[in-house]
Amino acid sequence: MNMSQDVKTQSGMTRKQAAKAVGHKCLVSRRNFLIGAGVTTTIMITLNPGTPQAREVPAQISEYPRKFVAKLSDLKLNEPFDFNYPDEGEYSENMIVRMGVTAGGGIGPDQDVVAFNYACTHQGGSLYDSYKADTKSLGACPLHLSTYDLTRHGILISGQAYQSLPQILLELEGDDIYATGIFGLIFGRKENLHG
Amino acid sequence: MSTPYYIPDQNVPLPPADADVITTACDYCIVACGYKVYRWPVKGNKVGGEKADQNAFGEDFPVAPLGSWVAPNQHNIVLHDGEPHHVVILPDKDAHFVNTEGDSSLRGGCIAQKCYNPERPTRDRLTAPMIRIYGMLQPVTWDFALDIAAEMGKYVIDKYGTNAYGVKTYSYQFMENTYAITKYALRSINTANFTFHDTPSDVSSTPGFRDAGFDNFGPAYEDWMNAETLLICGTDPYETKTILFTQWIMKGIQNGQKAIFMLPRKTAGVAYAEQNGGLWLDVTPGTDLLVVNAIARIIVENGWQDKEWIKNWVNDKWGSSSGFGQGTRNTPWQWRTTWGKFQTKGFDDWAKWLLAQDEFTLENAAKVSGVDAAKIRLAAEMMAKPRDDGSRPKTSVMIEKGFYWSNNTGNTQAISALGIIVGAGGRPGQVIGRAGGHQRGGVRGGGYPRNKSPMKLPGRRRRALDTDTWTMAGHTRMAHVIGTTWIQSMLGSQQMSARFHELTRGNPHQIQSINREKIIETLKARVDSGGMVVVNQDIYLVDPIGNQFADIIFPAATWGEEDFLRANGERRIRLYQKFYDAPGVAKPDWWIIANLAKKMGFSGFDWENSNDVAEELAKFTRGSRKDFNMVKVAARREGKTLHQKFREMGTNGIQGPVYMHKDGSLEGTIRLHDTTRKLLPDGPTAVNMYNKKLTHFNSQTGKCNIQKSPWSLFSDYWEWMKPKGDELWCTSGRANERWQSGFDDTRRPYIVQRWPDNWVEINTEDAKKRGIESGDMVLLSNDRVPSLKDTTLGVESSDFSFTGQLAKGNVEFSEAAVTAVAMVTRAVKPGVMYMDFLHSSQPANALAGRVVDWISGNYNYKMGIAKITKIGESPYKNTFRSMSFAPRDIVI
Ligand code: SF4
Ligand code: FES
Repeated sequence: MNMSQDVKTQSGMTRKQAAKAVGHKCLVSRRNFLIGAGVTTTIMITLNPGTPQAREVPAQISEYPRKFVAKLSDLKLNEPFDFNYPDEGEYSENMIVRMGVTAGGGIGPDQDVVAFNYACTHQGGSLYDSYKADTKSLGACPLHLSTYDLTRHGILISGQAYQSLPQILLELEGDDIYATGIFGLIFGRKENLHG
Repeated sequence: MSTPYYIPDQNVPLPPADADVITTACDYCIVACGYKVYRWPVKGNKVGGEKADQNAFGEDFPVAPLGSWVAPNQHNIVLHDGEPHHVVILPDKDAHFVNTEGDSSLRGGCIAQKCYNPERPTRDRLTAPMIRIYGMLQPVTWDFALDIAAEMGKYVIDKYGTNAYGVKTYSYQFMENTYAITKYALRSINTANFTFHDTPSDVSSTPGFRDAGFDNFGPAYEDWMNAETLLICGTDPYETKTILFTQWIMKGIQNGQKAIFMLPRKTAGVAYAEQNGGLWLDVTPGTDLLVVNAIARIIVENGWQDKEWIKNWVNDKWGSSSGFGQGTRNTPWQWRTTWGKFQTKGFDDWAKWLLAQDEFTLENAAKVSGVDAAKIRLAAEMMAKPRDDGSRPKTSVMIEKGFYWSNNTGNTQAISALGIIVGAGGRPGQVIGRAGGHQRGGVRGGGYPRNKSPMKLPGRRRRALDTDTWTMAGHTRMAHVIGTTWIQSMLGSQQMSARFHELTRGNPHQIQSINREKIIETLKARVDSGGMVVVNQDIYLVDPIGNQFADIIFPAATWGEEDFLRANGERRIRLYQKFYDAPGVAKPDWWIIANLAKKMGFSGFDWENSNDVAEELAKFTRGSRKDFNMVKVAARREGKTLHQKFREMGTNGIQGPVYMHKDGSLEGTIRLHDTTRKLLPDGPTAVNMYNKKLTHFNSQTGKCNIQKSPWSLFSDYWEWMKPKGDELWCTSGRANERWQSGFDDTRRPYIVQRWPDNWVEINTEDAKKRGIESGDMVLLSNDRVPSLKDTTLGVESSDFSFTGQLAKGNVEFSEAAVTAVAMVTRAVKPGVMYMDFLHSSQPANALAGRVVDWISGNYNYKMGIAKITKIGESPYKNTFRSMSFAPRDIVI
């Protein structure tokens, strides 16, 4: 006899089956002009400084690639454009959008151009195609309805995510927009540069 | 405390394959999701790798959606056996129950941040007992602090009687603790000056459920999913019991369930239901009863009630009169029905009454409640209209505080009757119950001494002592406050705070010596001059009860720092394991109480560890909804401790009441009042109990009582409170991202960044009229906060009304003012504002009247009103780091 009654979930799916069912949809538009590649250098850092366990160990310091994303003049108001960054691996899909309102971390003359990763920082649901022009938000995540405010560094509006949506750091050079880094850990990864 | 500058880490250490794995459950909301703690030493610099065989999850990184990703907020460093250890705390990805698919909310998901780490904002945990000397709290030894508290306790009880010693405590923070606290307060001291964190006196939260015969937590989580129509009153589970929504109700909705929400605010769960064929009944605060009875009336008028169910399971005249089997003169039920205002002779009698009340016509209900008549009608159809083939929708009813703390007795009576006529309550997918707030960690170590309550009126039954009016009147000479803010969580909070100050720090007798005798002498002089001594037992220094008013502080150990038992909203009992060292010399509450009790000369507190307490309390769960006495019997048979037996059950735990088979195996109870359940033919064996509530309702006959719910008992208060002139309703509740008083969240940089200050949602139209924009700093003021001066005064039934109390001169008025950041939104009903209910410095409860429900003794917390005025701009209006002013109802 069971100690407890095993309740089947409505879908009858295990977590892994459910995960497959919600896996990322393919992104339709990709334009990848990889300008710089990731560079890895080895330096020494001290672990546990000031304790008997202190010792020098090699640390892997990886640098974010600098990657051309789009031309500012090509970005239409409230029409997101998708790109991969920092690599082509899992959860590298991002969007860039000109929102028409000033935003935290925004670039361009109106500081209204921002870019964010598409993987929900709750449990990895895809936020693809969920940009809302009226609220300048991404979401709701199809899995558990998290929503994110793109004017405020991707902060959670409502929902379950464990942190803000990773924001892609952008630089403007003339009319060219480059991605140069990421603020926040991408879902699913141990480190952003380990796709 | 944390600042709002959250800078996320860019990588996280993964637990190595050989990390310790310890099961527990979330500390926060009622759902009690299962969790796993991965722990490994910092020493040796070992971390797990990204390949499945290199980490404790056995998963390759990057992980799949729903996988064992570790967000930076899910890691911390703690001391375990005195050595620094990493901990990664994730929802149990292999959970079979509760949080299936390894889901969690943001609250529980980041629970690793709760752990004490002196390098993080949790650094201000209380680590040593303290005594206030020259106004400042100074660390002392346990022995010294306990000695003084015990001396003062004995003095106060000897000189002023047991009711001068007040105990105000949480009801939920683990069974071992609540058992020790209630054994001490109710059995050993035997004071009537006792109550829990959420009510001024020790009374039932849902009087209507109690009268009808419904347990608050009878249903199983799967029932909320399997209902075809689900009426949810006064809460959005997405916001406040998240996983109950995302793993259960949401799947029900995806499967075609029609979810009807009745509350004045639209958050994601409500919007999701609306998107998917459900309904939002946007009710004006306090008018729920009218809508519920209008729905009931439509059902009765059309003959849509579940006739078969009513015939078999509703008491007739004789059944209703048989009371609750507690003796007819001394039941809460009897005391209320002396007026004949509730009791019926059965369904027909109730229906006759219902149809005779003009206020329940659809037109009137729609007008007063502000809910569109067409929606009320549709709700009645969804709940009860038989299909063409004659079959009925399986309907369930869920209620929570927005509903039962608005018109406590009236609303809970009305919803019980509606539940009964739609056939909710005794079958799978057809249930009625509370959604729940805190988890269920209460076990009583003593009975409430009602006969010692002075609150007795001619011809009436004694009421449980109202600890707020009692204390305000100066009768509490020593207040022992355990794990609650007391002041901000009660009503008319600002007036209470002023009075507490007067009784403690405002008193001339303040400790100015570290000499034991002199301290006791001073405190005795304090209480003899009409003042009060405050002992505060908590994990942080709480403002103002600990920070400003307490003379003695006892530091408590909490979740993860001791082995504890607790049940959730479907009565599932689990062991919450200790996995790290409590800060400093902090001790679990059971230990503090036991040592204080021993110093005061009480016996029965010789426990060595929390398992000892658990084994003692197990027998006191017998007959209750979380009866797990048989788990102890099984453990004994197997030569194990009770905690050990529960440890083996991991995050599955077992649902109470628990039955043991002849072979020693255990069987839990999916739902209470399950009229479809077949019990074993040969009946209970050995020391097993078959409680009636397993298959019947909580009444003498085992059938439901259908009761009346007159609007007139509440309508005068509602009319009086109703916003006048420029006022608006100002109701309150939780927000998803923040738990309770924010005791942990104010120490989480990300949450502080999201919600740096209290906030008020105001509808776009209302804001426009008042020149208010999102991000403005506003003042919410109420210049007519009513409070009862004394316990309800009266003899005639007409005295038991707000009008009656006004006439008796028992109501006084004060002013309240609270600041907040305005959030202008479409997602709250016009005429209604909504605030977070428990910000320490900006308490929404200050705006509601300290007037108890005449019948039940509960407060109607949600009935606040305020004028709102802009006083400037908050720093968040034009900066981008903190807060968000986007609406919370985006679901597609
Ligand atoms: S839903 Fe409740 S129990 Fe579950 S993780 Fe969230 S706060 Fe904890
Ligand atoms: S994965 Fe996006 S809300 Fe859960």
